[in-house]
Amino acid sequence: MKKIFSLTGAVAFNSFMESVRNRFFTLFAVFAFAAIYASVLAGVMAVDQEARVLTDFGLALMELVALAYALFSASSVLLREAETKTIYLVFSRPVPRSAYLAGKLAGSLMTSALMLAVMGLMHLLLLKFRGFGVPPGYAWALSGSLLKLAVITSFAFFVSLFSTSAVSTLVISGVFWTAGHFVTETRFLAESSGGAVAAALKAAIWIIPNLQLFNARDAAGASCALGPAAFFSAAAWVAGSYLAAVWLISGKEF
Amino acid sequence: MSQHAVSFSAVEKTYRRPRLLGAVYFTGVKDLSFEIPAGEVTGLLGLNGAGKTTIMKLIGGLLFPTAGKVKVFGQSPQGGAAKARVGFLPELPYFPPQVKPGDALSYYGRLSGLSGADLDAAVESAMQRTGLEPHAGKRVSEFSKGMLQRLGLAQALLHSPDLLVLDEPVSGLDPLAIHDIRGLLAGLNADGRTIFLSSHSISEVEKLCARVLIMVRGRLARTVKRAEWEAAPGGLEAIFVEAVR
Repeated sequence: MKKIFSLTGAVAFNSFMESVRNRFFTLFAVFAFAAIYASVLAGVMAVDQEARVLTDFGLALMELVALAYALFSASSVLLREAETKTIYLVFSRPVPRSAYLAGKLAGSLMTSALMLAVMGLMHLLLLKFRGFGVPPGYAWALSGSLLKLAVITSFAFFVSLFSTSAVSTLVISGVFWTAGHFVTETRFLAESSGGAVAAALKAAIWIIPNLQLFNARDAAGASCALGPAAFFSAAAWVAGSYLAAVWLISGKEF
Repeated sequence: MSQHAVSFSAVEKTYRRPRLLGAVYFTGVKDLSFEIPAGEVTGLLGLNGAGKTTIMKLIGGLLFPTAGKVKVFGQSPQGGAAKARVGFLPELPYFPPQVKPGDALSYYGRLSGLSGADLDAAVESAMQRTGLEPHAGKRVSEFSKGMLQRLGLAQALLHSPDLLVLDEPVSGLDPLAIHDIRGLLAGLNADGRTIFLSSHSISEVEKLCARVLIMVRGRLARTVKRAEWEAAPGGLEAIFVEAVR
Protein backbone atom coordinates (compact mmCIF):
# COMPACT_ATOMS: atom_id res chain seq x y z
CA MET A 1 0.00 0.00 0.00
CA LYS A 2 2.88 2.35 0.85
CA LYS A 3 4.33 1.68 -2.60
CA ILE A 4 1.02 2.56 -4.28
CA PHE A 5 0.85 5.85 -2.37
CA SER A 6 4.44 6.59 -3.29
CA LEU A 7 3.77 5.95 -7.00
CA THR A 8 0.56 7.99 -6.90
CA GLY A 9 2.43 10.83 -5.21
CA ALA A 10 5.20 10.73 -7.84
CA VAL A 11 2.68 10.93 -10.71
CA ALA A 12 0.67 13.66 -8.94
CA PHE A 13 3.72 15.81 -8.23
CA ASN A 14 5.04 15.40 -11.78
CA SER A 15 1.63 16.25 -13.24
CA PHE A 16 1.35 19.32 -11.01
CA MET A 17 4.86 20.52 -11.90
CA GLU A 18 4.18 20.05 -15.61
CA SER A 19 1.04 22.19 -15.31
CA VAL A 20 2.86 24.90 -13.39
CA ARG A 21 5.68 24.96 -15.95
CA ASN A 22 3.19 25.11 -18.80
CA ARG A 23 2.85 28.48 -20.54
CA PHE A 24 -0.82 27.72 -20.92
CA PHE A 25 -1.09 28.04 -17.15
CA THR A 26 0.67 31.42 -17.24
CA LEU A 27 -1.74 32.65 -19.88
CA PHE A 28 -4.66 31.72 -17.68
CA ALA A 29 -3.12 33.56 -14.75
CA VAL A 30 -2.79 36.68 -16.90
CA PHE A 31 -6.35 36.24 -18.15
CA ALA A 32 -7.65 35.79 -14.62
CA PHE A 33 -5.91 38.94 -13.47
CA ALA A 34 -7.39 40.92 -16.36
CA ALA A 35 -10.85 39.47 -15.80
CA ILE A 36 -10.83 40.29 -12.10
CA TYR A 37 -9.68 43.79 -12.91
CA ALA A 38 -12.68 44.10 -15.24
CA SER A 39 -14.88 43.13 -12.31
CA VAL A 40 -13.65 46.23 -10.48
CA LEU A 41 -15.02 48.33 -13.31
CA ALA A 42 -18.33 46.48 -13.10
CA GLY A 43 -18.29 47.04 -9.33
CA VAL A 44 -17.92 50.78 -9.75
CA MET A 45 -21.05 50.78 -11.91
CA ALA A 46 -22.97 48.92 -9.18
CA VAL A 47 -22.79 52.03 -6.95
CA ASP A 48 -23.95 51.05 -3.40
CA GLN A 49 -23.78 47.29 -4.10
CA GLU A 50 -20.16 47.46 -5.20
CA ALA A 51 -18.79 45.04 -2.61
CA ARG A 52 -21.40 42.41 -3.41
CA VAL A 53 -20.98 42.75 -7.19
CA LEU A 54 -17.19 42.66 -6.91
CA THR A 55 -17.30 39.55 -4.76
CA ASP A 56 -19.85 37.65 -6.86
CA PHE A 57 -18.36 38.63 -10.21
CA GLY A 58 -14.82 37.80 -9.11
CA LEU A 59 -15.75 34.43 -7.60
CA ALA A 60 -17.74 33.43 -10.69
CA LEU A 61 -14.89 34.40 -13.03
CA MET A 62 -12.35 32.54 -10.94
CA GLU A 63 -14.46 29.41 -11.05
CA LEU A 64 -14.93 29.64 -14.82
CA VAL A 65 -11.22 30.22 -15.48
CA ALA A 66 -10.24 27.31 -13.24
CA LEU A 67 -12.95 25.19 -14.88
CA ALA A 68 -11.67 25.99 -18.37
CA TYR A 69 -8.12 25.05 -17.41
CA ALA A 70 -9.18 21.90 -15.54
CA LEU A 71 -11.32 20.73 -18.47
CA PHE A 72 -8.69 21.44 -21.11
CA SER A 73 -6.11 19.67 -19.00
CA ALA A 74 -8.25 16.65 -18.03
CA SER A 75 -9.59 16.12 -21.55
CA SER A 76 -6.20 16.18 -23.25
CA VAL A 77 -3.69 14.78 -20.77
CA LEU A 78 -4.22 11.07 -21.42
CA LEU A 79 -4.52 11.53 -25.18
CA ARG A 80 -1.37 13.65 -25.23
CA GLU A 81 0.59 11.14 -23.15
CA ALA A 82 -0.47 8.36 -25.52
CA GLU A 83 0.40 10.43 -28.62
CA THR A 84 3.83 11.44 -27.29
CA LYS A 85 4.42 7.86 -26.06
CA THR A 86 5.16 9.19 -22.55
CA ILE A 87 2.60 6.70 -21.30
CA TYR A 88 4.77 3.84 -22.67
CA LEU A 89 7.53 4.85 -20.28
CA VAL A 90 5.04 4.71 -17.39
CA PHE A 91 3.06 1.56 -18.17
CA SER A 92 6.11 -0.47 -19.12
CA ARG A 93 7.11 0.01 -15.46
CA PRO A 94 5.46 -1.69 -12.46
CA VAL A 95 2.97 1.17 -12.08
CA PRO A 96 -0.64 0.05 -11.50
CA ARG A 97 -2.97 1.92 -13.86
CA SER A 98 -5.19 2.83 -10.90
CA ALA A 99 -2.23 4.57 -9.21
CA TYR A 100 -1.36 6.42 -12.41
CA LEU A 101 -4.93 7.64 -12.82
CA ALA A 102 -5.18 8.66 -9.15
CA GLY A 103 -1.91 10.57 -9.52
CA LYS A 104 -3.08 12.37 -12.66
CA LEU A 105 -6.36 13.30 -10.97
CA ALA A 106 -4.60 14.48 -7.81
CA GLY A 107 -2.12 16.51 -9.88
CA SER A 108 -4.96 18.17 -11.75
CA LEU A 109 -6.78 19.00 -8.51
CA MET A 110 -3.59 20.40 -6.97
CA THR A 111 -3.27 22.64 -10.03
CA SER A 112 -6.90 23.77 -9.70
CA ALA A 113 -6.39 24.47 -6.00
CA LEU A 114 -3.28 26.53 -6.77
CA MET A 115 -5.11 28.45 -9.48
CA LEU A 116 -8.00 29.24 -7.14
CA ALA A 117 -5.62 30.24 -4.35
CA VAL A 118 -3.60 32.59 -6.60
CA MET A 119 -6.69 34.10 -8.20
CA GLY A 120 -8.36 34.38 -4.78
CA LEU A 121 -5.38 36.29 -3.47
CA MET A 122 -5.50 38.64 -6.45
CA HIS A 123 -9.23 39.08 -5.94
CA LEU A 124 -8.82 39.92 -2.25
CA LEU A 125 -6.08 42.42 -3.07
CA LEU A 126 -8.41 44.09 -5.55
CA LEU A 127 -11.18 44.18 -2.95
CA LYS A 128 -8.77 45.71 -0.45
CA PHE A 129 -7.70 48.23 -3.07
CA ARG A 130 -11.38 49.25 -3.41
CA GLY A 131 -11.60 49.60 0.38
CA PHE A 132 -13.43 46.34 1.24
CA GLY A 133 -12.47 43.56 3.63
CA VAL A 134 -12.60 39.79 3.15
CA PRO A 135 -16.23 38.86 2.29
CA PRO A 136 -17.87 36.52 4.80
CA GLY A 137 -17.75 32.86 3.82
CA TYR A 138 -15.08 33.58 1.19
CA ALA A 139 -13.00 30.48 1.95
CA TRP A 140 -16.16 28.36 1.81
CA ALA A 141 -17.00 29.80 -1.60
CA LEU A 142 -13.54 28.82 -2.90
CA SER A 143 -13.85 25.38 -1.28
CA GLY A 144 -17.19 24.90 -3.05
CA SER A 145 -15.60 25.81 -6.38
CA LEU A 146 -12.80 23.31 -5.73
CA LEU A 147 -15.32 20.56 -4.93
CA LYS A 148 -17.14 21.30 -8.18
CA LEU A 149 -13.85 21.18 -10.07
CA ALA A 150 -13.04 17.84 -8.43
CA VAL A 151 -16.35 16.41 -9.63
CA ILE A 152 -16.04 17.71 -13.19
CA THR A 153 -12.33 16.87 -13.53
CA SER A 154 -12.80 13.26 -12.48
CA PHE A 155 -15.77 13.01 -14.85
CA ALA A 156 -13.67 14.47 -17.71
CA PHE A 157 -10.92 11.89 -17.05
CA PHE A 158 -13.53 9.14 -17.28
CA VAL A 159 -14.99 10.54 -20.52
CA SER A 160 -11.54 11.03 -22.07
CA LEU A 161 -10.97 7.28 -21.84
CA PHE A 162 -13.76 6.43 -24.25
CA SER A 163 -14.26 9.58 -26.32
CA THR A 164 -12.53 9.88 -29.66
CA SER A 165 -11.03 13.34 -29.17
CA ALA A 166 -10.28 16.03 -26.60
CA VAL A 167 -12.99 18.19 -28.16
CA SER A 168 -15.71 15.59 -27.62
CA THR A 169 -14.56 15.19 -23.98
CA LEU A 170 -14.77 18.96 -23.55
CA VAL A 171 -18.26 19.10 -25.04
CA ILE A 172 -19.61 16.17 -23.00
CA SER A 173 -18.07 17.51 -19.77
CA GLY A 174 -19.33 21.02 -20.54
CA VAL A 175 -22.88 19.70 -20.99
CA PHE A 176 -22.48 17.74 -17.74
CA TRP A 177 -21.32 20.90 -15.95
CA THR A 178 -24.20 22.99 -17.29
CA ALA A 179 -26.82 20.33 -16.56
CA GLY A 180 -25.42 19.99 -13.04
CA HIS A 181 -26.48 23.58 -12.31
CA PHE A 182 -30.10 22.85 -13.29
CA VAL A 183 -30.86 19.75 -11.26
CA THR A 184 -33.48 21.57 -9.15
CA GLU A 185 -35.23 22.76 -12.30
CA THR A 186 -34.96 19.28 -13.82
CA ARG A 187 -36.58 17.81 -10.69
CA PHE A 188 -39.40 20.36 -10.92
CA LEU A 189 -39.95 19.49 -14.59
CA ALA A 190 -39.92 15.77 -13.81
CA GLU A 191 -42.58 16.25 -11.16
CA SER A 192 -44.77 18.42 -13.36
CA SER A 193 -44.61 16.26 -16.50
CA GLY A 194 -45.59 12.68 -17.14
CA GLY A 195 -44.86 9.59 -19.21
CA ALA A 196 -41.54 9.05 -20.95
CA VAL A 197 -40.44 12.67 -20.42
CA ALA A 198 -40.83 12.38 -16.65
CA ALA A 199 -39.00 9.04 -16.65
CA ALA A 200 -36.14 10.50 -18.72
CA LEU A 201 -35.85 13.54 -16.47
CA LYS A 202 -35.90 11.40 -13.32
CA ALA A 203 -33.13 9.23 -14.79
CA ALA A 204 -31.13 12.37 -15.62
CA ILE A 205 -31.31 13.48 -11.98
CA TRP A 206 -29.57 10.23 -11.00
CA ILE A 207 -26.75 10.51 -13.51
CA ILE A 208 -26.05 14.23 -13.13
CA PRO A 209 -24.50 15.67 -9.95
CA ASN A 210 -26.29 18.57 -8.27
CA LEU A 211 -23.55 21.18 -8.61
CA GLN A 212 -25.73 23.80 -6.90
CA LEU A 213 -24.87 22.00 -3.66
CA PHE A 214 -21.36 23.46 -3.94
CA ASN A 215 -22.41 27.03 -4.74
CA ALA A 216 -21.45 28.55 -1.41
CA ARG A 217 -20.83 31.86 -3.18
CA ASP A 218 -24.59 32.18 -3.76
CA ALA A 219 -25.06 32.21 0.00
CA ALA A 220 -22.66 35.05 0.76
CA GLY A 221 -22.64 35.97 4.40
CA ALA A 222 -23.24 32.45 5.65
CA SER A 223 -20.48 31.49 8.04
CA CYS A 224 -20.51 27.82 7.03
CA ALA A 225 -22.26 27.56 3.72
CA LEU A 226 -21.07 24.07 2.76
CA GLY A 227 -22.89 21.31 4.55
CA PRO A 228 -21.77 17.68 4.95
CA ALA A 229 -24.01 16.74 2.00
CA ALA A 230 -21.77 18.77 -0.31
CA PHE A 231 -18.63 16.95 0.81
CA PHE A 232 -20.33 13.56 0.73
CA SER A 233 -21.76 14.22 -2.73
CA ALA A 234 -18.40 15.39 -4.11
CA ALA A 235 -16.60 12.36 -2.63
CA ALA A 236 -19.20 9.99 -4.08
CA TRP A 237 -19.05 11.52 -7.58
CA VAL A 238 -15.24 11.65 -7.64
CA ALA A 239 -15.00 8.05 -6.40
CA GLY A 240 -17.63 6.87 -8.91
CA SER A 241 -15.97 8.58 -11.87
CA TYR A 242 -12.52 7.41 -10.76
CA LEU A 243 -13.59 3.77 -10.40
CA ALA A 244 -15.32 3.85 -13.79
CA ALA A 245 -12.16 5.36 -15.32
CA VAL A 246 -9.98 2.68 -13.67
CA TRP A 247 -12.25 0.01 -15.15
CA LEU A 248 -11.84 1.54 -18.63
CA ILE A 249 -8.09 2.12 -18.45
CA SER A 250 -7.34 -1.36 -17.12
CA GLY A 251 -8.48 -2.87 -20.42
CA LYS A 252 -7.02 -0.15 -22.62
CA GLU A 253 -4.08 -0.83 -24.94
CA PHE A 254 -1.46 1.74 -25.87
CA MET B 1 14.97 -18.44 -13.28
CA SER B 2 13.76 -19.12 -16.81
CA GLN B 3 16.61 -19.52 -19.31
CA HIS B 4 14.50 -17.59 -21.79
CA ALA B 5 14.10 -13.91 -21.17
CA VAL B 6 11.09 -13.84 -23.47
CA SER B 7 8.93 -16.53 -24.99
CA PHE B 8 6.09 -16.19 -27.49
CA SER B 9 3.85 -19.19 -27.98
CA ALA B 10 1.36 -19.16 -30.90
CA VAL B 11 0.78 -15.46 -30.33
CA GLU B 12 -1.72 -13.53 -32.37
CA LYS B 13 -2.56 -9.86 -32.10
CA THR B 14 -5.54 -8.46 -33.97
CA TYR B 15 -6.28 -4.74 -33.89
CA ARG B 16 -9.81 -3.43 -33.92
CA ARG B 17 -10.46 -0.04 -35.47
CA PRO B 18 -13.97 1.28 -34.79
CA ARG B 19 -15.84 2.72 -37.76
CA LEU B 20 -19.14 4.56 -38.02
CA LEU B 21 -20.90 1.28 -38.63
CA GLY B 22 -19.12 -1.62 -36.92
CA ALA B 23 -15.36 -2.02 -36.96
CA VAL B 24 -12.52 -3.25 -39.11
CA TYR B 25 -9.97 -5.77 -37.91
CA PHE B 26 -6.42 -6.27 -39.06
CA THR B 27 -3.73 -8.60 -37.94
CA GLY B 28 -0.59 -7.24 -36.28
CA VAL B 29 1.13 -10.57 -35.72
CA LYS B 30 -0.07 -14.12 -36.30
CA ASP B 31 0.99 -17.59 -35.20
CA LEU B 32 4.14 -16.21 -33.67
CA SER B 33 6.40 -18.48 -31.60
CA PHE B 34 9.97 -17.74 -30.61
CA GLU B 35 12.26 -17.42 -27.61
CA ILE B 36 14.86 -14.84 -26.68
CA PRO B 37 17.65 -16.51 -24.72
CA ALA B 38 18.75 -14.70 -21.56
CA GLY B 39 22.03 -12.79 -21.90
CA GLU B 40 21.88 -12.56 -25.69
CA VAL B 41 21.44 -9.64 -28.06
CA THR B 42 18.57 -10.45 -30.41
CA GLY B 43 17.55 -8.27 -33.31
CA LEU B 44 14.21 -7.86 -34.99
CA LEU B 45 14.12 -6.94 -38.67
CA GLY B 46 11.19 -6.31 -40.95
CA LEU B 47 9.64 -3.86 -43.35
CA ASN B 48 7.18 -1.20 -42.16
CA GLY B 49 4.02 -2.85 -40.86
CA ALA B 50 5.72 -6.23 -40.38
CA GLY B 51 4.75 -6.30 -36.69
CA LYS B 52 7.99 -5.20 -35.01
CA THR B 53 6.45 -2.56 -32.75
CA THR B 54 3.54 -4.88 -31.91
CA ILE B 55 6.05 -7.44 -30.60
CA MET B 56 7.87 -4.76 -28.57
CA LYS B 57 4.60 -3.55 -27.03
CA LEU B 58 3.47 -7.08 -26.22
CA ILE B 59 6.71 -7.61 -24.29
CA GLY B 60 6.31 -4.25 -22.54
CA GLY B 61 2.77 -5.15 -21.45
CA LEU B 62 1.30 -2.25 -23.43
CA LEU B 63 -0.74 -4.56 -25.68
CA PHE B 64 -2.57 -7.76 -24.78
CA PRO B 65 -2.31 -10.77 -27.11
CA THR B 66 -5.56 -11.79 -28.84
CA ALA B 67 -4.44 -15.44 -28.69
CA GLY B 68 -1.43 -17.38 -27.46
CA LYS B 69 0.94 -16.64 -24.58
CA VAL B 70 3.70 -14.11 -24.03
CA LYS B 71 6.05 -14.69 -21.11
CA VAL B 72 8.81 -12.47 -19.79
CA PHE B 73 11.15 -14.37 -17.48
CA GLY B 74 8.41 -16.96 -17.20
CA GLN B 75 5.76 -14.44 -16.10
CA SER B 76 3.00 -12.41 -17.66
CA PRO B 77 4.35 -9.13 -19.09
CA GLN B 78 1.39 -7.30 -17.49
CA GLY B 79 2.55 -8.21 -13.99
CA GLY B 80 4.70 -5.99 -11.80
CA ALA B 81 7.33 -8.71 -11.29
CA ALA B 82 8.07 -8.97 -15.02
CA LYS B 83 7.93 -5.20 -15.59
CA ALA B 84 10.44 -4.61 -12.79
CA ARG B 85 12.98 -6.60 -14.85
CA VAL B 86 12.36 -4.84 -18.17
CA GLY B 87 13.73 -1.54 -19.47
CA PHE B 88 11.67 -0.26 -22.38
CA LEU B 89 12.66 2.32 -24.98
CA PRO B 90 9.96 3.31 -27.47
CA GLU B 91 10.86 4.77 -30.84
CA LEU B 92 11.52 8.53 -30.49
CA PRO B 93 10.72 8.91 -26.79
CA TYR B 94 9.29 12.26 -25.63
CA PHE B 95 10.33 14.24 -22.58
CA PRO B 96 8.84 17.57 -21.46
CA PRO B 97 11.03 20.30 -23.00
CA GLN B 98 11.27 22.41 -19.84
CA VAL B 99 12.83 19.74 -17.62
CA LYS B 100 16.47 18.89 -17.08
CA PRO B 101 17.57 15.28 -17.72
CA GLY B 102 18.13 14.61 -14.02
CA ASP B 103 14.55 15.65 -13.19
CA ALA B 104 13.09 13.44 -15.93
CA LEU B 105 15.17 10.49 -14.77
CA SER B 106 14.25 11.05 -11.12
CA TYR B 107 10.57 10.84 -12.05
CA TYR B 108 10.96 7.58 -13.97
CA GLY B 109 13.23 6.24 -11.22
CA ARG B 110 10.48 6.85 -8.67
CA LEU B 111 8.03 5.04 -10.92
CA SER B 112 10.46 2.12 -10.96
CA GLY B 113 10.30 2.03 -7.16
CA LEU B 114 13.57 3.80 -6.41
CA SER B 115 13.88 6.45 -3.73
CA GLY B 116 16.39 8.38 -1.61
CA ALA B 117 20.08 7.63 -2.06
CA ASP B 118 19.34 4.66 -4.36
CA LEU B 119 17.45 6.95 -6.72
CA ASP B 120 20.24 9.55 -6.75
CA ALA B 121 22.84 6.88 -7.41
CA ALA B 122 20.74 5.30 -10.20
CA VAL B 123 20.22 8.67 -11.92
CA GLU B 124 23.90 9.51 -11.69
CA SER B 125 24.94 6.09 -13.00
CA ALA B 126 22.45 6.18 -15.91
CA MET B 127 23.60 9.68 -16.90
CA GLN B 128 27.21 8.65 -16.73
CA ARG B 129 26.66 5.46 -18.76
CA THR B 130 24.81 7.27 -21.50
CA GLY B 131 27.23 10.19 -21.63
CA LEU B 132 24.66 12.73 -20.46
CA GLU B 133 26.65 14.00 -17.48
CA PRO B 134 28.20 16.99 -19.31
CA HIS B 135 24.66 18.04 -20.33
CA ALA B 136 23.10 17.75 -16.88
CA GLY B 137 22.51 21.51 -16.65
CA LYS B 138 20.70 21.76 -20.00
CA ARG B 139 16.97 21.55 -20.55
CA VAL B 140 15.52 18.85 -22.77
CA SER B 141 14.48 21.56 -25.27
CA GLU B 142 18.19 22.15 -25.94
CA PHE B 143 18.84 18.46 -26.66
CA SER B 144 19.69 17.07 -30.10
CA LYS B 145 17.97 13.92 -31.36
CA GLY B 146 20.98 11.86 -30.32
CA MET B 147 20.93 13.27 -26.81
CA LEU B 148 17.19 12.58 -26.54
CA GLN B 149 17.84 9.00 -27.54
CA ARG B 150 20.54 8.76 -24.87
CA LEU B 151 18.06 10.10 -22.34
CA GLY B 152 15.57 7.49 -23.53
CA LEU B 153 18.17 4.81 -22.97
CA ALA B 154 19.06 6.27 -19.58
CA GLN B 155 15.44 5.99 -18.37
CA ALA B 156 15.38 2.38 -19.54
CA LEU B 157 18.57 1.62 -17.58
CA LEU B 158 17.61 3.32 -14.30
CA HIS B 159 16.41 0.25 -12.42
CA SER B 160 19.17 -2.04 -13.76
CA PRO B 161 16.78 -4.23 -15.78
CA ASP B 162 17.72 -7.73 -16.86
CA LEU B 163 16.07 -7.23 -20.25
CA LEU B 164 16.25 -4.16 -22.47
CA VAL B 165 13.56 -3.83 -25.13
CA LEU B 166 14.61 -1.16 -27.60
CA ASP B 167 12.40 -0.06 -30.47
CA GLU B 168 14.57 1.52 -33.17
CA PRO B 169 17.31 2.70 -30.78
CA VAL B 170 19.43 4.27 -33.55
CA SER B 171 16.64 5.64 -35.70
CA GLY B 172 17.53 9.03 -37.19
CA LEU B 173 20.83 9.38 -35.33
CA ASP B 174 24.09 10.67 -36.77
CA PRO B 175 27.01 8.21 -37.23
CA LEU B 176 28.80 9.33 -34.06
CA ALA B 177 25.67 8.91 -31.91
CA ILE B 178 25.08 5.48 -33.49
CA HIS B 179 28.66 4.51 -32.69
CA ASP B 180 28.28 5.63 -29.07
CA ILE B 181 24.98 3.86 -28.57
CA ARG B 182 26.34 0.69 -30.13
CA GLY B 183 29.25 0.82 -27.67
CA LEU B 184 26.84 1.36 -24.79
CA LEU B 185 24.65 -1.59 -25.79
CA ALA B 186 27.66 -3.85 -26.24
CA GLY B 187 28.82 -2.87 -22.73
CA LEU B 188 25.40 -3.61 -21.25
CA ASN B 189 25.34 -7.01 -22.91
CA ALA B 190 28.83 -7.72 -21.59
CA ASP B 191 27.36 -7.06 -18.12
CA GLY B 192 24.95 -9.93 -18.72
CA ARG B 193 21.85 -8.02 -19.82
CA THR B 194 19.56 -9.41 -22.47
CA ILE B 195 18.90 -6.97 -25.29
CA PHE B 196 16.08 -7.19 -27.78
CA LEU B 197 16.11 -4.47 -30.40
CA SER B 198 14.24 -3.68 -33.55
CA SER B 199 15.81 -1.75 -36.37
CA HIS B 200 15.62 -0.85 -40.03
CA SER B 201 19.39 -0.75 -40.15
CA ILE B 202 20.64 -4.18 -41.18
CA SER B 203 24.27 -3.19 -40.67
CA GLU B 204 23.61 -2.16 -37.06
CA VAL B 205 21.80 -5.38 -36.28
CA GLU B 206 24.59 -7.30 -37.97
CA LYS B 207 27.20 -5.64 -35.77
CA LEU B 208 25.39 -6.05 -32.45
CA CYS B 209 23.24 -9.14 -32.52
CA ALA B 210 23.91 -12.83 -32.03
CA ARG B 211 20.57 -13.76 -33.55
CA VAL B 212 18.04 -12.02 -35.76
CA LEU B 213 14.32 -12.57 -36.24
CA ILE B 214 12.95 -11.52 -39.62
CA MET B 215 9.26 -10.59 -39.68
CA VAL B 216 7.18 -10.57 -42.87
CA ARG B 217 3.57 -9.34 -42.78
CA GLY B 218 3.04 -10.26 -39.12
CA ARG B 219 4.67 -13.67 -39.29
CA LEU B 220 8.12 -14.86 -38.32
CA ALA B 221 9.75 -15.63 -41.67
CA ARG B 222 13.21 -16.63 -40.46
CA THR B 223 15.48 -16.86 -37.44
CA VAL B 224 19.10 -16.35 -38.38
CA LYS B 225 22.15 -16.90 -36.18
CA ARG B 226 25.35 -14.89 -36.52
CA ALA B 227 27.29 -17.89 -37.89
CA GLU B 228 24.72 -18.27 -40.68
CA TRP B 229 24.90 -14.73 -41.98
CA GLU B 230 28.67 -14.63 -41.58
CA ALA B 231 28.91 -17.71 -43.80
CA ALA B 232 26.33 -16.53 -46.33
CA PRO B 233 27.41 -14.66 -49.47
CA GLY B 234 25.99 -11.12 -49.14
CA GLY B 235 25.65 -11.49 -45.37
CA LEU B 236 22.51 -10.68 -43.43
CA GLU B 237 21.27 -8.22 -46.05
CA ALA B 238 21.02 -10.95 -48.68
CA ILE B 239 19.17 -13.24 -46.26
CA PHE B 240 16.79 -10.45 -45.31
CA VAL B 241 16.02 -9.45 -48.90
CA GLU B 242 15.38 -13.06 -49.82
CA ALA B 243 13.04 -13.49 -46.83
CA VAL B 244 10.94 -10.39 -47.41
CA ARG B 245 10.58 -10.67 -51.19
